[in-house]
Amino acid sequence: MLDWLKNINKDYPDFWKAYLSKFDRRSPRFVALSITTTGHDYKKDVILSISGFGILNDEIIIGDSYEVVLLQYVYNHDHQLSNEFIVESRQPKALEPDGIKAFVDYIGNATLVGHRVNFDVEMINEALEKLHCGRLKNEALDIEIMYQKWKDLNDDKHFTLAELSSLLKMPAIEKVSASEDAYAIALMFLKLKSRLGLK
Amino acid sequence: MKNSIAERIADFLSAYPPFTNLTFDELTQVAMDIRVITLEKHKAIFKIDDPLHDCFYVVGAGVINLSVISDAEETLLNRCEPGDIMGLRPFFAKNNYQMTAKAREDSILYAIPIATFRPFVANNTAVLDFLLQSFASTSRSSLDKNKNKLINDTVQYIDSQTEIQYFQSLDYNKKPLTVAPTAIVQQVAQLMTDNLTGCVIVQENNIPLGIVTDSEFRSKVATGRFYITTLVNSIMSPVITVPENLSLAEAQLFMLRQNVQYLCVTIDGTDKTQIRGIISQHDIISAQSNNPGILVKEIKKAPDASELKHLREKLADFIRISIDNKIPISHINNIAGEVNMAIIKRAVDLAILEIGSPPARFAWLSIGSQGRKEQLLMTDQDSMLVFEDVAADKYRDVKDYFLKLAKRVISMLETVGYPLCRYGHMAGNMVWCKSMTDWTNQFDEWMTNPAAKPEDSYSIFFDFEIAFGEIQLEEALTDSIFSNLSARKNKKFFAFLGNEAIRKPPPLSFFKQFNLEEEGEHKELFDIKNRAIMPYVDAARVLTLSNHIKGVNNTFSRFKQLAANEPKYADIYMNCAEAFLMLLKFRTISGIRNGNDGQFISIEELTKPDREKLKNCFLPLKDLEEIIKNKYQLTFFS
Repeated sequence: MLDWLKNINKDYPDFWKAYLSKFDRRSPRFVALSITTTGHDYKKDVILSISGFGILNDEIIIGDSYEVVLLQYVYNHDHQLSNEFIVESRQPKALEPDGIKAFVDYIGNATLVGHRVNFDVEMINEALEKLHCGRLKNEALDIEIMYQKWKDLNDDKHFTLAELSSLLKMPAIEKVSASEDAYAIALMFLKLKSRLGLK
Repeated sequence: MKNSIAERIADFLSAYPPFTNLTFDELTQVAMDIRVITLEKHKAIFKIDDPLHDCFYVVGAGVINLSVISDAEETLLNRCEPGDIMGLRPFFAKNNYQMTAKAREDSILYAIPIATFRPFVANNTAVLDFLLQSFASTSRSSLDKNKNKLINDTVQYIDSQTEIQYFQSLDYNKKPLTVAPTAIVQQVAQLMTDNLTGCVIVQENNIPLGIVTDSEFRSKVATGRFYITTLVNSIMSPVITVPENLSLAEAQLFMLRQNVQYLCVTIDGTDKTQIRGIISQHDIISAQSNNPGILVKEIKKAPDASELKHLREKLADFIRISIDNKIPISHINNIAGEVNMAIIKRAVDLAILEIGSPPARFAWLSIGSQGRKEQLLMTDQDSMLVFEDVAADKYRDVKDYFLKLAKRVISMLETVGYPLCRYGHMAGNMVWCKSMTDWTNQFDEWMTNPAAKPEDSYSIFFDFEIAFGEIQLEEALTDSIFSNLSARKNKKFFAFLGNEAIRKPPPLSFFKQFNLEEEGEHKELFDIKNRAIMPYVDAARVLTLSNHIKGVNNTFSRFKQLAANEPKYADIYMNCAEAFLMLLKFRTISGIRNGNDGQFISIEELTKPDREKLKNCFLPLKDLEEIIKNKYQLTFFS
């Protein structure tokens, strides 16, 4: 409520207005999401890459994907990292504002799915604030919590992505990259969703 | 936009036909349109009579069973493993699915839209050919290995019976014996005798004119109606011609309809074109039974473990088909026992070839279920090795050699698909690879001090059967055991074995309900091995030992033998024998359906009559228990 009051007179960028207008109705689409960051402090750290896979009708739509490496000039500069590797890699790249914009366009009003998804959402919200936007409005589901629910575990039991993957007897995650993780999250989500009988 | 998962899927697909025919870029393009589905165990992706999907499927991980259901019974047609394609029907036909595809374990499927893939099929005949063939077979493995086991996607029912038509191509004689019409009967008879064949085709310019078979000689020559000097065309019968590429079922129908034993294959199936071969009734019989004799022959010359694995899979097919065809389980058991033995024998053979000939005579003995020849499914290996006594200074080297040999054999058998014994009851284990004297002492020790280590179940060592080596060693061991038995009338030993037999957890609760597993991996399933099969096995063992019945290891045969030896219990023993076979059948069917060793069966999946049948199998246990209790005065231990 306060958030709304604070922002009432703000003029949002167009892409954000378009995003907000998508929330008139609930989406059947899910987006499995994984980000890599420079650390765990969402005030100080920045996002290095974002990946997502769309899920519709319990099927992962391979073509419906998002993948970007963000060129974090400040971060690289501060740590004296060579930009060469990132520039040379074949992944699509963008500067943070463009990457975030495209990501917001991509997710639309889908429900987000992730592993410790609150942190991911918080990181993105930080980036959005720099662009003078509000916070993400999407619903978010966490596969770790889904697993805890399914197994009736306390919420102080934590599992890494790799642990969940082996507990759920999924094929091993081969390379560690944000898109591999996002794909693995999508597979695990489908399995947990059917186990929990979610519609 | 770039998509690394699409590339990974393309990479996966590129290893399997027909995708091998496409370039990586094309595959990535296909992969972009793929939808990934996770399928939980026992969930179906499509069922019989479901409308067709807009896609076909490639198994990414897990196993999918293809089956048909008739009379409420599920018949497994095929298994799809990673890389296999299935559900091709929408490509070629307009009607609904004719099979059910169900996950046997949690699986991942790639759904490839037909619309995406169709252009690649149109532009690439190799892809089309592969899909057409797969449409008929739906399994990569059957295409690669044995081309004569094509199972069609189209399932036909004959007279509403639960018969599936197996469209097998037929192996037949491509170089039949032929003679000119002017040949002399006697010469023809000599020719047939020399070639060990029952028929000869009479031809002119390789066009069939008629056929002469053994029966012509019997009815026309031996009866004296024709002289042995007549021309062959005067005794020949009309020949039935058929086209090439006849299926097994068709050939069979032809023979029945025409009441003949031989069919002549010609180019277009008429008697106006050239001869291509001859199909005999015998060809059909061997094609139908997946002939175990031939299997054993092939095993004997298998070059390595992977070939053995393939042959063992054939045995599994044979068992499955035999059970479907209601062949008595005791018969299947015997054959499977022989084939398994042959595999073990060959494995030992191969190991010896690899590490050099043995420094002493030895015997490789199978124990447990294989020793009893009751191994229809791939259950774990149990074995022991006994070698002849050698001089003390050589003992170490000899033992080292045999341990090495045994380890090699065991790992080979593991490759074939027999899992290792959980309790280490294998010849590769120091303790179970010993000299003759050591073994005699070991058995002696077990028999005089039966309960020394109650946690250690050694009773399976009393079910040994030689798989390889010197039969004298096996006989000597048997003799020593039996002389021990008669020498001491070992009450304590029998009491121990008897107690073991009746100590098993009961199959039914007080209220005649199945006792299911309460926790763990097999929760809610019925442990048919420990609750039902083992009590019979253990009881049969102790009873045969105490009756001094030598050389009968099979539980079924043991009960039969016992019935002959002890007429007063004959009825009970016969019931036990029957019940045991029935239990074995239940386990095998469940094992085939679930692709495991069948130890745990799901009662829910049984039909009501089957449940009753299963319960009836437990009835003789009570009587058996009474016999054992009375016989061995089970007060020592209980």
